[in-house]
Order: sequence, then C-alpha cells, then structure tokens
Amino acid sequence: MHNPLKKEPKEQNKNRLSIIIAGCGKVGAILVARLSAAGHDITVIDEDPTVVQRITSTYDVMGVTGNGASYSVQMEAGISKCDLMIAVTESDELNLLCCSMAQRMADCASIARVRNPDYAAELSYIREQLGISLIINPELDTAQEMARLLRMPGALEIDAFAKGNAELVKFKLPEKNVLCGKSVSETRDLNIDMLFCGVEREGNLFIADGSTTFQAGDAISVIATPINTHRFFKKIGIDTKHVRNCMIVGGSKTAYYLAKELEDMNIDVKILERDGKHCEELALQLTKTLVLNGDGSDTKLLTEEGLAQTDSFIPLTGLDEENILLTLYAKKYSKAKIITKINRMDFKPITDNMDLDTVLYQQYMVTERIATYVRAMQNSIGSNIETLYNIFDNRAEALEFRIRRGSKVCDKPIMELPLKKNLLLACINRKGRIIIPRGSDVLMPHDRLIVVTTHTGFKDVEDILA
Amino acid sequence: MNFKVIVYILGWIMVLEALFMLLPMLVAAIYHESQGLSYAAVALGEGAVGGAIILKKPKDLNFYLKEGFVTVALSWILMSAIGALPFYISGDIPNYVDALFETVSGFTTTGASILSAVEDLAKCNLFWRSFTHWIGGMGVIVFLLAILPMAGGTNMNLMKAESPGPSVGKLVPKVKKTASITYRIYIFITLAEIAFLLLGRMPVFDSVCNAMGTAGTGGFSVRNTGFTTESPYIQWVVTVFMILFGINFYVYYLLTVKKFRDAAHHEEARTYLIIILLAGAFIAWDIRGLFDSVGDAIRHSYFQVGSVITTTGFASANFALWPETSRTILVMLMFIGACAGSTGGGIKVSRLIILVKTFFKEITSYLHPRSVKKIKMEGKPVEHEVVRATNVYLVTFIVLFATSVLLVSLENKDFTTNFTAVAATINNIGPGLSMVGPMENFGHFNPFSKLVFIFDMLAGRLELFPILLLFCPGIWKRRKSE
Repeated sequence: MHNPLKKEPKEQNKNRLSIIIAGCGKVGAILVARLSAAGHDITVIDEDPTVVQRITSTYDVMGVTGNGASYSVQMEAGISKCDLMIAVTESDELNLLCCSMAQRMADCASIARVRNPDYAAELSYIREQLGISLIINPELDTAQEMARLLRMPGALEIDAFAKGNAELVKFKLPEKNVLCGKSVSETRDLNIDMLFCGVEREGNLFIADGSTTFQAGDAISVIATPINTHRFFKKIGIDTKHVRNCMIVGGSKTAYYLAKELEDMNIDVKILERDGKHCEELALQLTKTLVLNGDGSDTKLLTEEGLAQTDSFIPLTGLDEENILLTLYAKKYSKAKIITKINRMDFKPITDNMDLDTVLYQQYMVTERIATYVRAMQNSIGSNIETLYNIFDNRAEALEFRIRRGSKVCDKPIMELPLKKNLLLACINRKGRIIIPRGSDVLMPHDRLIVVTTHTGFKDVEDILA
Repeated sequence: MNFKVIVYILGWIMVLEALFMLLPMLVAAIYHESQGLSYAAVALGEGAVGGAIILKKPKDLNFYLKEGFVTVALSWILMSAIGALPFYISGDIPNYVDALFETVSGFTTTGASILSAVEDLAKCNLFWRSFTHWIGGMGVIVFLLAILPMAGGTNMNLMKAESPGPSVGKLVPKVKKTASITYRIYIFITLAEIAFLLLGRMPVFDSVCNAMGTAGTGGFSVRNTGFTTESPYIQWVVTVFMILFGINFYVYYLLTVKKFRDAAHHEEARTYLIIILLAGAFIAWDIRGLFDSVGDAIRHSYFQVGSVITTTGFASANFALWPETSRTILVMLMFIGACAGSTGGGIKVSRLIILVKTFFKEITSYLHPRSVKKIKMEGKPVEHEVVRATNVYLVTFIVLFATSVLLVSLENKDFTTNFTAVAATINNIGPGLSMVGPMENFGHFNPFSKLVFIFDMLAGRLELFPILLLFCPGIWKRRKSE
C-alpha cells in the first residue's frame, strides 16, 4: 500500500476566537486541550480552585475560580470580548443560565450542554427563547448514533452528509469476502454508484485510489446514497437487514433515549435495570419497551432473557469496564450486533485493539461536535464552507462547499482539474440529486461539493487546486 | 526531567544574550573604545554555540514545573557566567569572581558593586552593567516567551518560575501575549523616564543607563557620586519612576484596558503606596535637622525610601549617616520589598499582606477557637496552598538569611555590615549600612563571601526555590526512557 498519510500541522489561523469554557470536568478538559491546541484564546471558569490550577498549569489558558453564571465572574473572565461561551458544567440549568447571560452581556455565540430528559423534547424551543446557538445533549446524540447503526448493523460508523442524502459508511471487511485481494479498479463490475474513500489498516489511513487493494480486516469507508449503500452491502454479501430486537443493559439516560428511538423504528426493546424504582419510571415513560428488573451483569439472567437469540446487544451501564466485559461476553455467546459506549477517552489506544466492533466514545462525540462548531465559526469569515466534518478519528476532514458562478473548478471535466494530492472529490449534490463524481463529470454553479482531504485550513473550493 | 528541552531553551538564552551584547558593542563603537572587542568575541562564541543548539528542536516538548524551575535557575547562572566574561576579558575587572559578582548583581537587579570608582570603567562596560539591570528586571525568560513559540503548559511553568510573587497570574489567556504586553509596558515607562531625564539636562548616556537602572530596580549608577550631586528635579524624577517600577504591572495593564476603578482599588499597590507615604513622612521628620530646608529633607527621605522599598539601591544622600530610627526603618523596608509582578525584589508586599492577615486570623482563633475565617486579598479568597507557600517562603528566607550571615561573619567584620550586606543582596537592593553603605562597596569582602552573596542575589531574584531545587539530587535523575 502506498501514500500513507499524516495530518499536516494546523495552519496558524489569523482569526483566533476568544472562548470561555465554564466547567472543567472531563469534557471541559478535553475541549480545553483541543481548542487551545488550535490556537484560540481560552479562559476557563470552574468553582473548584484546584481544577482551575491544574488546567492552567497544563495548558496555555487563563483560569477564573467561581460560578460561571455570575455576572462578576463572567466579567472577570473577559466576557465583553468573548466570541463564544461553552457551558459544560454538571448542571443543565447553570449551563443554560450561563449561556443566556453571556448572550445578553456580550451578544456572543454560546453552546450549552443539557442532558436532562425532561428538557429533551423542548430543546429547540429553549434554544430559541434563550438565544443559545447550540444545545448539546450527549446522551441523546449517542442514542441517535446507535439507532442509525442498528438500522445498518454491517457498518461500524455512519456519517450523514447533504442532509442525509449521502452517507459515509465505514465497515470492516470480513474474512473471505469477495472484496479481499481486489483493488479498487477491479470493483467496477459491481456496477453501483458509490466511491471508496479511505482504508484504515493497522492504525494508518490511506485515501483510496484505483490501485488500492483490500485485505480482510481493513476498515473501509465508502460514500454513496443510502439506497446504494444497501445495494453495495448486499452485493458483497454483508448483512443489511436492520435489527428486529435489541437488548439493553442498564437504564441510563442513553438507554432511555435509545429505547425511544428504537420504539419509533418498531424494534423490540428489552432493558435490564438493577434498580426497581428506576424500572418503574422507565416503564412509565417507555410504553412498548419490556423493562426487566435485574442485574444485567448476571450472565444467567442474560442467557435466560435470550442473549443468544437477540439481534443486537448494547451494554449501557455507567461503568466502562463493565460495558467492555459485557461486550466481550456477548461476542462469545451470541451473533448479535454489539455497540459499546465508552465514556473515557484516555484508554482509547487499548480499547482500539480489543476487537469490540463498534465503539462510541461519548466524550469524543461531544467535543467533536463543539470543535466542529468552533471551526465552522472560525471559517465563516471569508470562506464558503457549508459544513465541516472531522472523519477517520480526526485524521481527515470532509468539507461541503457551495460552488459559485465563475469559479475556476467549473466548466471542465474533473479529470482535467489540477487537484492537490491526498484529496478526494467524494460527492456532488446537484439540487438534491447525489452524484458520485467520475472523471468525466463537470462541476456546475450552485452544486454542493463534498471533498475528503487530509489537508486542513481550506477556505474556498478553489483551495483544492494545486 | 526532560533535559533536551532544558538545553534547547538554554541555547535560546545564549542566542538572546549574544544579541543583547550588540548594544554595548555599539556603545564602544560610538566612544571608540577597544573594550568593545571583548563583547564581539564573547557574543560570537556564545551566539555560535547557542545557534547550534537551537537548530534542532527536541521532539518531546513535555515540560512540567520542575523543568521550569531548573531551566530558569540554569539560565540565570549561565547568563551571568557568560555575561561576566567581557568585564574580565577587557581587563576592567581583572578578577573573574569580581566580574561575576558584578554581573550577577546586574542581572538580579541588586546593584551592589565591587568597584570603588565606576567612572574608571569604559563606557561600553558601564552600559552593559546598566543593561543587565534592564534585562534582569522583567526577566530574560519572559522576554524569550514573548518571542518564542512554545506549546501548552511549557510557557506557564517557565513564567511561574521566573516571575516574582506568591501566585503568578496572566493578563490575557496566552502566555506569549501576556509576556509581550508586559514588555511593552516596561519599554514604554523606560522611554518615558529617559525623556524626563533628558528634560532635566542629563547627558544622553547617563539618562539611558540611569533609566535602565531604575526600570529594573537595579541601582548601578554611572557616577562615582551616585545621585548626590544631581539636581532636585532629576532626583524627583528618579524617585517617582523608582516607585512606579515597584508597582504590580497588572495595574498598568488595567489602565491600558481602561479599567481605572479596578486599578485604583488594587490592594497590593495601595498598601505599597501607603507604606511609602508613611515611611517617607516619618523619615523626613526624623532627618529634618540634617538639611537646610524641609523640602530637601522630604526629597531625600522619599528618594531613599523609594530606592530601598523598590530594592533599587540608588542614593541621593549617604543614609548610613542618618539617625538610628531612620536607618532601622530603611532596613525594614529592605525586607518588605516591592509589589509582586513588578521588577522589584524583597519579600513582596503581597506576601506581607497575606502574612499579616494570617497573623490576625490566628489571633482571632485564640479568642474564638471555633471561628472560621478565610483570608482574602484583592477581594478574593486566598487559597490555603498560597498561604502555606507564603509561610514556607518566609521560613526558607529566614534560614537562608541566617546561614548567609553566619558564613559572611567568618570574615570577622562588624554585625551591621554582615547583616545589611546579606539583606541588601538577598533582597536585591545593593547598598546596606556601615561598611557596605551607599558610599561604600563590596570590594573588601573575600572571594568566599562574594560567592555567598552571588548565591543570595540569585536566590533572592528567583524567589529562593528555583535555585534551591538545583541542590535536590532527585532533580538530576534521568527518566528511564532516556
């Protein structure tokens, strides 16, 4: 395999944002690390002086001790010159107040984390009324991501583009699959309108081109419309039927949201929860779900409740260790699609090697969404990027550009464009119609073009030209 | 310990010092002095070595507080050791220990000298002496941070180790920006002083050197007579600027961002100014008989008070001859020192505030054993860690002080000399009383005592712990991976 790619160092961006982060728990700390590495001016607020002390001595940021929603504390943190307030404290109400205050005082953008299910249905109303730019509910996001994966059990990851009209789907190539040993150019006979984007092998990422050859165990990403993804999976013999039932261990918030999503998809859900009282609450809220009062880590109970027969199995206890053990156990005694949710990112290098199939890192998803929002904010000045996604564990970006009239990329077949290396034109959205570009295709004004690249700092579609 | 990063930063320090030496070379060129060649030689050698080191940036840039402390301590030692060479090579100070004493005294902004007649020195050497004050005042590492892009916690750990005060904060989120704002304020006030001195008809060379000596709260003078023969106008200008450079630079930052109310309410600066006001008024009254007019008494009183509390060490009168009460007050002011976050030395006013408040808290706890009180400063609670560190600082200070007095007493000089000589060096002031009074110098001590003073000056400027940490064997252990 050739062209192993490394992400180039981030370009020094002139328009740095001044960001205040209220609450320095796990997510807050990861955000500080990511955003300060990107060169933003960051001030953190936390009530615990030792936390502030630790953060300020590890990262090049300023710290303020106090309540993030208080006027004087926000003033001290420099709210008057702030571009973005991110509130990720333990309390939903504090986060909302914090953002609302910041918005009124400085007219800045604000992101609040709100996780209480009581507000889940009203998030957009709250957002509008309080003038908050983005409300993040990590549990709900995780649950939705899980539901998307259960719809297509063969996939490891699914990212939606162009309002869901195209998806980037990652799957693991099983042993003895028809694709094994074939190169990209040899797959033309599949005759499906789709594009191989990237191949991950042993921690390295390769952007696919005609000569890329597949091996069993590769994590392959393809981009296509949802229908074509289905057809592709069917052709190469990977199961595409969505699951019919699901077993969830632990009645956490994520479990509740997931059960709700799955109920809407008419999937039978079983939840095993230890706490009797909590079971009653769940049973009240989830009408179609079967709520079982019992210890999900009791292997006998799991067998009794049909672990061997279930289509999908999702451990959602509060403990990462328990979730991993349950996953490994279920892998051994059933053929179910298993999704493991892991909170802590710290041990990712180890869990990555554990053959857990699909793993969702909740903290990562949260910080990812916020970091993406920040990049989009930063880019909104003088760029025409519509959306930006970090893909392949942050090693590449997918950018959605809108093509303007008179752009240099128009009116020429793609194969005649002098494109940069390590870059792929992944799909064209022409008035809602998804086109997987071939060399002979021509870009037209008003097209939305999705580019996958390991370069960073693209601002305009013309940046793709060498 | 990550020695590679430490060496890398030391390389940068060497390059910087070599660049700094261009200025005395320029002075030598202007005055046609052959001593300038010694600077050229040293700068060339130092620049070459430093340049070779910084060519390769180490991969592992992980940097913690202990690396910060060690880097800062080693930087200052290296800088002084090399900075002393031109004095030695040019032959103006024929003994290397003396040259080192003079340079350390310069960089640590002490201003204690071993020279009896400074006017005998070449102009370029005089300039370098004063310039070391200016560099040492705000700190060379802070300067480095303003220009060198480093990542993550590295900068903060360096800044913490070099900047004076019980808790080091930033003005803005980025260390780099904080350092550059601080230096901009520093340069601006220095230029203002030069302008005011020039208005008083002081020669250009004297104005520049004296302004740099004031800015770093150093105290090297370019005249044998110090400030005793200058006009009252010059003396007042220097008094005001000495006091200004002793104020926490955070106050100036608040002024630049137009937060005048916050600046006016800065507790440390207020306390500092009140101490100066009271001490100056008392001494003026005490020495009124020594001068022709009350105006003279007031001027000399405030000049000396300002000079001693900011740890500058200029003298407009020989205060060693003043009444006992005034001299005692001046010695006490030596220990108080200037504000944290300024260019001054000493124990620092903010530490004094914390200590006094701790004292009252303790007294209350005897009266009401169940009383719960939190110490506050600048309207905010002072963390227990900071209070503890302040107490430990004071204890360490006293132990180091007592040990130094004992070691210096081996020479069998009188107690006032030994006591004030150590006080004047560890607090980075310069002149003391008796045989080290403002009109005397440190030349009569033997080399051993001079080394003790050198150590005290460095320890005092870097607030004890960075230098003391060098003697901790654990610091020098290598990581297993290396």
